[in-house]
Amino acid sequence: MMRGLYFILALLLIAIVIVLGLQVGSFESGLATIAEAFLNYNPDNTTHYAIVHLRLPRLLLALVVGAALAFCGYLMQAMVNNGLADPYLLGTASGASLGAVLVFFGFIEITIGSFYMPPMLAMAGAFIVTLVVVILGYRKRQLIPAQLLLAGIAISSLCTAMVGLLTFLSDSESKLKSVIFWSMGSFERASWTLLPYPAVALILALILFAFLQKQLNILMLGSERAQALGVQVSHTRWAILATVSIVTGFAVATSGPIGFVGLIVPHVTRGLLGTTGRSNLLFCAFVGGLFMLLCDLLSRIIYPPTGLPIGIITSFFGVPFFVYLLSRKNYKFSS
Amino acid sequence: MRKFTKISRAGPAPMKNKTIVYTLYFLSLILGLQTIVSCQQKPEEQKQGITITDNLGRELHLPKQPKRVFGFTSAMAEMLFAIVDTANIIARTPDCDYPAGVYTKPIVSNYPVDMEQVLALKPDLIFTSEGMTPLDDAARLQELGIPVYYQKYRTVEDVLKGIEDIGRITGREQVANHLADSLRKEVQQLEAKYKNRQSKLQVLTITWTDPIYVYGQNTLLTDKLRILGAENAVKETFDQPYPALTREYILKLNPDVLMGGTKEKLEQTFFSQYPELRKIKAYKDGRIYAPTGNLIERPGPRIVESLKELEGFLYP
Repeated sequence: MMRGLYFILALLLIAIVIVLGLQVGSFESGLATIAEAFLNYNPDNTTHYAIVHLRLPRLLLALVVGAALAFCGYLMQAMVNNGLADPYLLGTASGASLGAVLVFFGFIEITIGSFYMPPMLAMAGAFIVTLVVVILGYRKRQLIPAQLLLAGIAISSLCTAMVGLLTFLSDSESKLKSVIFWSMGSFERASWTLLPYPAVALILALILFAFLQKQLNILMLGSERAQALGVQVSHTRWAILATVSIVTGFAVATSGPIGFVGLIVPHVTRGLLGTTGRSNLLFCAFVGGLFMLLCDLLSRIIYPPTGLPIGIITSFFGVPFFVYLLSRKNYKFSS
Repeated sequence: MRKFTKISRAGPAPMKNKTIVYTLYFLSLILGLQTIVSCQQKPEEQKQGITITDNLGRELHLPKQPKRVFGFTSAMAEMLFAIVDTANIIARTPDCDYPAGVYTKPIVSNYPVDMEQVLALKPDLIFTSEGMTPLDDAARLQELGIPVYYQKYRTVEDVLKGIEDIGRITGREQVANHLADSLRKEVQQLEAKYKNRQSKLQVLTITWTDPIYVYGQNTLLTDKLRILGAENAVKETFDQPYPALTREYILKLNPDVLMGGTKEKLEQTFFSQYPELRKIKAYKDGRIYAPTGNLIERPGPRIVESLKELEGFLYP
């Protein structure tokens, strides 16, 4: 009963925040203008154009990226049976940043053909680094979660150091600004052409793990117990790793590395629904999307027109809530 | 067994001895004070040099008129080469590329500042401009006995005054004033030419595409455009001189002219990345121009050259 209520509440809040978000921008636009933009769209009206082609994709991208990061965080925490895990520990974000920085600093052309390269290189960086971390996480054909996390931290540090070195050697203030802007995350690049990539990746991943939710819940009891209960631990972990790499890679490539969402939202989900719900993953995605939408809206209200870098907002608003959650006596990572 | 040394107490000193001791004490005290006072008088002596106040209101004390100088910015190098005897310009930064004479000078790192290298060059004064050299670096150099003089420019007139300022400081007033006056005349002619323009072109100038950074209201370009009877499309004054803007904000500005690269280059980078911005007037009318980087960016003696280049774009 409560579970259904939480779902309805999350969807309702998402709808409200989207409607609010559609009203925030450089063009004056109330509810009537927004309704007119959708019901009677005029392509020559720049306010209509801004609402449909700039604000809506931005809000949807925030929703998708928030959902994707939260979803991947939930998967990672389940996989290594540790509440401190998130996709960024695999080095995905730092690999993506390194890829993007290589373009910003001119090592690779900014456009090749009709392709705008920073997201492409970010994706490549995310995949390559994640793959290296996964290889290092193996010992005797067994994926060792602790080793995987340590490898992730080490490779992340190396990528961060390389980004730092390139930044230090940079000869352009504008390039530095690009890197800083990228590294803190933003939805300003959102467009209808960019949105399908993370959206499709997330939807496919949600469908896949709708079937694997049971295995995931058992995996959270620990790999030995999961093995004893008939779960193909190795296969499930591989599925998680591949999914996290792809979904996070797309999210980071489109919006930059946005921290903290993948870490806190799974805890919120488990705090509200318990640790073994069948619909936990879907709810986690909804809450992640809602959280990101709220952060984007706040960032644009606080610091118009560009908005504050989204990573700053996620940390500022996420940390106090996370601390509150941890201070609750009845909170546990797994049952 | 511990032995205790017997300390014999001396009796009271005779009066005569006491007087001598007190006299010596007071004499040494007076001498000491005299030494301290004379030490403190050293800066007084130094004040026989020159005290100048830079555009940031920082007071600098120079023991003599500065001879060995250099600029911490490429624009400042242009200023110095136009005013100062080039033999007295002792260095350049890695960004300095104009005039050709800069290439004969040794390179000094300005970001981060190579303190040892600067010390080794023994400059009498370093010229820089607001925002280009961290004040912490200037303070550190000041501690090392090397004053750093800041200039600040908001208008074209500020640049011309800056030229006169450098001339006054370096003892090249005649050269500097002549240069500033001839430039001022040309600026006034341009201003008079476009003074009565009814419709003012709205100009947006981008400096970087991801994110979109532009020349804000509080930059020298705004005054250049005013002189040419046009306006900076960015009316709002942001905290940063080169603010980042959203696509929606630019759509709302709807500039008549866009500067920042050739049509082909911006088509490949800017407009392919932000196709929504193809709706702006400048794109539809094909009014996209590529100003020469080291002209539009630099507040220096080539300011009229920069104005004339902009004039060519605005009124082809």
